[in-house]
Amino acid sequence: MLGKKLITKVLEAALTTNADFAEVFIEDKFQTSASMLSSKVESVNNAKVFGVGVRIARGYHTVYGYTNSQEEADLVKLASDLAQSFQGESRGIKVVLGEMKIGTVHEIKRYPHEVTIEEKIDLLKRSDVAARAYDEEIKQVAVRYQDYVQKVWIANSKGTYVQDTRVRTRLAINSVAMNDVTKQSGFNGPGGHYGFEFYKDIINVEEAAKEASRVAKTNLHAAECPSGKMPVVIDNGFGGVIFHEACGHSLEATSVAKGASVFTGKKGTKIASTLVTAIDDGTIPNAWGSAEYDDEGNKQLRRVLIKDGILNSYMIDDLNAIRMKDESTHSGRRESYQYAPTSRMTNTYIDNGESTFDEIIAATKYGLYAKKMGGGSVEPASGDFNFAVGEGYMIRDGKIAEAVRGATLVGSGSEALLKVDMVGNNLLTAQGMCGSQSGSIPTDVGQPTIRVSEITVGGRGGTN
Amino acid sequence: MNFDLLFSKAKEAGIEDIQVYMSSGTQFDIEVFNGELEKYTIADTATLEVKGIYDSKMGTVSTEVINDEIIDFVIDSIVASANAIDSEDEVFIYEGDKEYREVTGLLNPELEAVEAAVKIADTLALEQKVKAMDDRVKMVQTFYSQSRQKVIIKNSKGLNLEKESNNGLFGVYVIASDGKDQRTAIEYIQSNEYADFDFDLIAKLGAEKATALLGALPCESGEYEILLKNDASSSLLGPHLSMFSAEAVQKDVSLLKGKVGEQIGSELITIVDDPFMLKSTRSGSFDDEGVATKYKEIVKDGKLTGFLHNLKTAKKANTTSTGNGFGRIAPTNFYVKPGALPFDDAVKSMKKGLVITSLQGTHSGANPISGDFSLQASGFLVKDGVIERPVALITVAGNYLDLLHDVEAVCDDLKFGFSFIGSPSLKIKKLIVSGK
Repeated sequence: MLGKKLITKVLEAALTTNADFAEVFIEDKFQTSASMLSSKVESVNNAKVFGVGVRIARGYHTVYGYTNSQEEADLVKLASDLAQSFQGESRGIKVVLGEMKIGTVHEIKRYPHEVTIEEKIDLLKRSDVAARAYDEEIKQVAVRYQDYVQKVWIANSKGTYVQDTRVRTRLAINSVAMNDVTKQSGFNGPGGHYGFEFYKDIINVEEAAKEASRVAKTNLHAAECPSGKMPVVIDNGFGGVIFHEACGHSLEATSVAKGASVFTGKKGTKIASTLVTAIDDGTIPNAWGSAEYDDEGNKQLRRVLIKDGILNSYMIDDLNAIRMKDESTHSGRRESYQYAPTSRMTNTYIDNGESTFDEIIAATKYGLYAKKMGGGSVEPASGDFNFAVGEGYMIRDGKIAEAVRGATLVGSGSEALLKVDMVGNNLLTAQGMCGSQSGSIPTDVGQPTIRVSEITVGGRGGTN
Repeated sequence: MNFDLLFSKAKEAGIEDIQVYMSSGTQFDIEVFNGELEKYTIADTATLEVKGIYDSKMGTVSTEVINDEIIDFVIDSIVASANAIDSEDEVFIYEGDKEYREVTGLLNPELEAVEAAVKIADTLALEQKVKAMDDRVKMVQTFYSQSRQKVIIKNSKGLNLEKESNNGLFGVYVIASDGKDQRTAIEYIQSNEYADFDFDLIAKLGAEKATALLGALPCESGEYEILLKNDASSSLLGPHLSMFSAEAVQKDVSLLKGKVGEQIGSELITIVDDPFMLKSTRSGSFDDEGVATKYKEIVKDGKLTGFLHNLKTAKKANTTSTGNGFGRIAPTNFYVKPGALPFDDAVKSMKKGLVITSLQGTHSGANPISGDFSLQASGFLVKDGVIERPVALITVAGNYLDLLHDVEAVCDDLKFGFSFIGSPSLKIKKLIVSGK
């Protein structure tokens, strides 16, 4: 691997003009994926990823370059080419890299690259059998397995020199239920910052597969969701995607720093119901969105974003901290060497409140119970969000009634947060992939069951 | 990497046939914000994907470390991968077509000859142009993105193909505000000819799009006559592409299964897959499997004429590949053929309806297996042929095949999205709208 001497040379080449900061990010990643469809193993693929990213900055102005080359001449040339975008004399910054710090906090018991392909294939088979056995209306099952070991080295002109290893694995099951009338699908995709022990110590593979089939089967027999404004009870786990989309993105420095977020300048003010406390925590042991260091070489932190409804902290990377004249929250993340890092979420959730699940349902005369959420998106400038409900039920007279499908929730994030009027005590997290400026990265979303007093629900079942 | 060495070592290891697909290229991106160059990226990358037939199964591997030392890893991975597969589908390494249509002009070196300094100056000037358009434009981000990609396919059956293309994109991201409401818009032009970048036009469209929606509120819930603007229509076509894939048909997850020759939409609808369109990075004379590409009308006057195939699905269906083997089956430049009706005339023809200019959440709110969609939308309320007011935070729901049947008019304003999926504006009989 590229040693300290070479890295120092590249950093020095980057600082030959007027820049005040230079960084080298080296990535060496090995990933294996396998997929099964119709009970047959369809593909198995190994992929070796290697690349180097060089970032140079003056103030918060940055230039970035990347290459797959490991050759000294290529890397020094890349750094020198990038340096040409900053005019002026070198500041004479001396690059001194100390002892390399190595991330070791998130313990891995069985590194995936030391596990045979056969064992991984066995997971696909077990999932397939369990998902199909759930019900005879389950007609198709697709299973995908993925693992990777991503080693990164981050060094910069401030003396940072760290090596971190991110080991992640995920099993994704997609079940399709079918009858003469329609086809509906259900998805479940548990994962974590774990090695292969995840499938023995942490999750029950068969239960995970059955869950995907249960959702598909429920949707097959569900009525079309009615549309209109109504109270919505959003369940724990992946329900946290509402917060991730409607609020989390708008708290990232990426949009806050430019004044492009509805929450710009709102620190210390009430932006949510007093029942809401929200946290972004990159330190949770072995969680999907955790790492010991962020992608700028800083130690991951636990950030209290909202405390009892009051905006407490944004998520800020080192460069945006300069622009915002605020402190970095060590939130710099990136998909790979092909992206410059920027402020991103890690494991983001609404914290526990005091109501029980039963109390929340019982207190709702009419509304939608969104048990499982699908994906969604948000426009940070307006805070307008949309997301699909993966499994939903009507609530009538304080009881969960018939299943409904095809619902979409739309609203404005800032309003929805203020309209949270009940928060449960059953916090649960779930795994997702989050796409933004610095690529697609693993993030956990989470929350206890919450109720929003009014959201616009879109569906094909007419108004009532 | 010495491919001949790879091929001969593979043979020794018992790999019957082997193919390399090497994609390499450069990237140059700039972004301007508040009169300053905010982002500047240069890159130079290469990826090698190798597939090989071992024991009648196809093993695959990919690597960004490309040198002779990695050859043993490549071969071991192919064998291990092939050994694990138990799908009985027949696999292929293609010997090639007799003829490949020559597609010239996909690579235009003059685009790269325009100096970086000029492109930066133009990106900076573009920001000022947008700001000068309207007082309500509060923030502008302008960007230029340029890429060049070269693909080489070589295999042990003697196939040896190469193509190279480049492309530039100037775009604006605009935030407009009237003090109470804030709205955003993106507008862009893609081409590999620098003279095509009409900065005044991008600025005008971007500013108009962002300001037009200021003060937008939901409309009443109910059924509305819909005019789906070109941008919105192409973004809705995107998630439904898989319906046209033979793979989806064979896996029984396409709504169009068994419907070849049938009317699947209004006779006004013709959908084209055109690999020879100029100034597009999706164009080329061969697909990723080395099969010659062809122009086809996959839906002709509302009738489904066939599906998009790769080698594997074509063999299964006893037909020939349509040249759409791009990893999975994917279209090249895929679009609804434009009609003759000007957009403004379409608006005038509406009694009580909605012009939908933008749809959000198409990756989650549209289900290509059932065709059902329920999506966040914004646009304009129309009464007696006149735009009354902007509308936002509503959802429109329907089924994509019903929508194709309900097309009453096709406009003349074909527009392509980032990924070369295009559509003109479509007038639709009705969709269910959920608002206030």
